[in-house]
Amino acid sequence: MNEKEFADKLKPWLERAAGQVGEMQATRLKSARLRALDAYREPVRLLGLVTVSGGTLQELHYSIVQRSLLWLPILALLTALTVMSVSEPDLGELDVELLTQELPPDAFLDKDLRSWLGKTGV
Amino acid sequence: MGGASRFATISREPGPLSRRRASLATKKEMSDFLASVERRAFKQCVYSVHDDEAALDIVQDAMMRLAEKYSDRPPTELPMLFQRILQNAMRDHFRRTKVRSTWTTLLSNMGLGGEDDDADPLETLGVEDQGNIPASPADRLEQGQVMAAIEEAVRGLPDRQREAFMLRYWEELDVSETAKVMGCSEGSVKTHCSRATHALAKVLRSKGITL
Repeated sequence: MNEKEFADKLKPWLERAAGQVGEMQATRLKSARLRALDAYREPVRLLGLVTVSGGTLQELHYSIVQRSLLWLPILALLTALTVMSVSEPDLGELDVELLTQELPPDAFLDKDLRSWLGKTGV
Repeated sequence: MGGASRFATISREPGPLSRRRASLATKKEMSDFLASVERRAFKQCVYSVHDDEAALDIVQDAMMRLAEKYSDRPPTELPMLFQRILQNAMRDHFRRTKVRSTWTTLLSNMGLGGEDDDADPLETLGVEDQGNIPASPADRLEQGQVMAAIEEAVRGLPDRQREAFMLRYWEELDVSETAKVMGCSEGSVKTHCSRATHALAKVLRSKGITL
């Protein structure tokens, strides 16, 4: 008797053993199956290119949302800093230069500088 | 593709689905597949982990993962995918058990282990299915003895041999599918199967059982 023949003769016994699992186990297996089917999600076609499992997509969506929420405070902080740095005028630097007298004296004789100072309201 | 062809006979729901969509497993196909495989999967786990409760948990996890994550696969791929998930779940169980037993041993050596002798022995008794039971008590007894001997022999096989034998001859996966599920070469699958078959034949012969 070769391997396959032996296995073929053994298989019905194994099938019978599987058919005789206890009532309690059979009930639990059935409820496990029903729970699994509750978790089944229809496959979704993405951009008409790839088909992914609904569960995978849901998981992906969840992780993207979760990550976005994690990045949100950092993004808000960076935005605030950027806005602050942009809204801050260069007048401060000019004041500092004036006060430390790093600006050459000729600069105060320059008409354009005066007109520029007038425009900016300094 | 044995296991796949067996499952491929399950009919599909008619409907105006696109050709591509129609090749994917529908919910009904998933349900039929799980119903067809759940008891065998449970038995496989019991032979491997020797614990009904753990086996039920493993099968439940495997079914859940398959339904949740692989609805985008054609029904012919379900048997192999399910077996892959199931075998991984069993490996995870062994890993967890190993870690837990390490800690339990450590804690019990330190005198912190709890007593767990209150289990009710009646809880382990199950009511057997009344189908396929021979008419005469003598035949029933004989069949029960043969089945018990076969199950004991299967349970006694080394893990990898049992895994290969079950996948190849009970789940009817072909050699390459079995190799993929087991994460080994096709040659190893053949070797494991051959050894398992010879070991089973030897054990059954020694008990006077001829199939």
